[in-house]
Amino acid sequence: MRCVQRSFVPYPFEAQHFPARLPALDSQRNERRQHPVVIVGAGPVGLCVALGLANHGVASVVLEADDSVCLGSRAICVSRRSLEIMQRLGALEGFLNIGLPWTGGRSFYRDAQVLHFTMPHDQNQKLPPMLNLAQYHIEQILLERARQRADLIDIRWQSKAIGLEVRDAAVRLQVSSAAGDYALQADWLVAADGGRSFVREAMGLELRGTSYEGRYVIVDIRLDTDRPTERLAYFDAPCNPGSTVLVHKQPANVWRIDYQLGDGEDAAEAIKPENVLPRVESLLAMMGERGAWAPVWITIYKANALTLERYRHGRVFFAGDAAHLVPIFGVRGANSGIDDADNLAWKLALRIQGVASDGLLDSYSTERVAAAHENLRSGMKSTEFMAPPSFAFELMRKAVLGLAVRHADVRALINPRQTAAIHYRDSPLNLHVGAASAFDAGPAPGAVLPECPLTITQPGAAARQAHVTDLLVDAAPRFVALCFVDADAPPQVTQPDALAALTQRLAARGIRFGTASVSQRRAHATAWDHTGRLFPMYGAVPGTVYLVRPDGHVLTRWKALPGAAAAPAIQAAIEHTLHPGASP
Amino acid sequence: MTDSELDTVYTRLCTTLTALGEGNAALYLARFALLAITRIGDPAVVHALIDAAAQDLGGE
Repeated sequence: MRCVQRSFVPYPFEAQHFPARLPALDSQRNERRQHPVVIVGAGPVGLCVALGLANHGVASVVLEADDSVCLGSRAICVSRRSLEIMQRLGALEGFLNIGLPWTGGRSFYRDAQVLHFTMPHDQNQKLPPMLNLAQYHIEQILLERARQRADLIDIRWQSKAIGLEVRDAAVRLQVSSAAGDYALQADWLVAADGGRSFVREAMGLELRGTSYEGRYVIVDIRLDTDRPTERLAYFDAPCNPGSTVLVHKQPANVWRIDYQLGDGEDAAEAIKPENVLPRVESLLAMMGERGAWAPVWITIYKANALTLERYRHGRVFFAGDAAHLVPIFGVRGANSGIDDADNLAWKLALRIQGVASDGLLDSYSTERVAAAHENLRSGMKSTEFMAPPSFAFELMRKAVLGLAVRHADVRALINPRQTAAIHYRDSPLNLHVGAASAFDAGPAPGAVLPECPLTITQPGAAARQAHVTDLLVDAAPRFVALCFVDADAPPQVTQPDALAALTQRLAARGIRFGTASVSQRRAHATAWDHTGRLFPMYGAVPGTVYLVRPDGHVLTRWKALPGAAAAPAIQAAIEHTLHPGASP
Repeated sequence: MTDSELDTVYTRLCTTLTALGEGNAALYLARFALLAITRIGDPAVVHALIDAAAQDLGGE
């Protein structure tokens, strides 16, 4: 074999390094003040929790063992749902500026294309279904946003949690930092400390589920090419017979290549550059890539499908990889962690502000454990195809791929089933009013709002083209009543004064609530349905109201809510959410 | 059959085959083919499927 001589090059990213700092300590090396929330881990999940809490005015301390954002081959695909969350956190622009949007991909069996898939994407969408960027970009964007909220977010670098004691009234952490050791106390702890979570181990909790034997080598390279952004999968590729290869583009000409190892191959040998580089070389030759390239990073991956049974243990919450490990195939890892953070932040904030009961906190666990099981099911299905766990899956996959060349019916089995927003079907927060059959369309309680264009009309400002989810974003996340109104009826019919009074009553208690009205034609409402698609998509008629949670999931909906009944009904529904399980 | 239903029966077939073991694989798939043939009931369709399944397999 020709000897490949290539030097490694660094990622095209300069990470800033941060020193350790000590807070004000007493003579026993205890931090003087008790914090409302301590977050362990400043990865994407920890930073999203901190930003989400800050959106509600709640301060947090974030402990990070490292001295910078992480480098290396980690998450690279950010879903549309995660981008919606980034908009709530004020970080969307950074993602759209750097990331590479994509909508689909192609799969090949030997030298034939057997699938060209597209993810749900249509004229109603504001955001791409998927955006590729490196995890160091994700963390850097979130970090910059967090530093703008330095009044509420205290990130402590090179500070590792090494001891944990959960007491009745507080959580006590022993912290080992480069500037010295100390103890801190907090009312609540969020463990976002990754797959090898210290907090999880200290509490004696174990992830359970399935570990797969199939191994993948993950290689990041820099490559000069004009190839577009899409997901490429090569099964039994001529360049790598018997093995599956995945290819993804990242910004700045970094390419992610994942290839499957054979059963007999030794992992330590397999990741040596002299064994990896020739395989990359032959892959690029097969793809017809002639540009200069250099390796950046090589690692090995084994798929796991594991979760904790519960994500709330008294004062301690688990989120992201600390709570669940999802296979990489289908990109549910970082995305599900970001969803955890979005679900937890508003609930914990309202509990800390004293307006919600523990039942709301328990719903974090109920909803996100159910979501993890759905993610694990999908992730396992993807893994069984990408890394067949037995001769049977291997044999059947060979049959699928061979038939797919000529038979379109079997191609659905090759579709990678990328992550999608989860519907919390059985959430204790869902409130079902009226007959379920009242709606023939639109998101049911527990689902996220489907996107649709509309025109926002503000008094004294030019009308602007926008989307439904833009109505949810205000200065900060809030409960929103989306009221569908009659353009011809006078505004008083919807009793805006009663709703404005409700907004003020709730604000006085620290609960953010707002209303947005949509009419079929341009009128006095907040927005109008200029495409004519919004009303039918939501099964709406004048008088229909959707009540939406701060994380964009539907709480409840009324087909026709008379103006006089709206404020009391909405207030009762919000109270039900804040105190789930309490008698109405 | 929806995509999701196809996924589910595909996985069930794979796990059943796994449990039976590699030694039983050919016989199990032959039995499955016979049951499917009698259930399909239309000789023209079965003839076409017999040919389609054999296509591209030559030389293996």
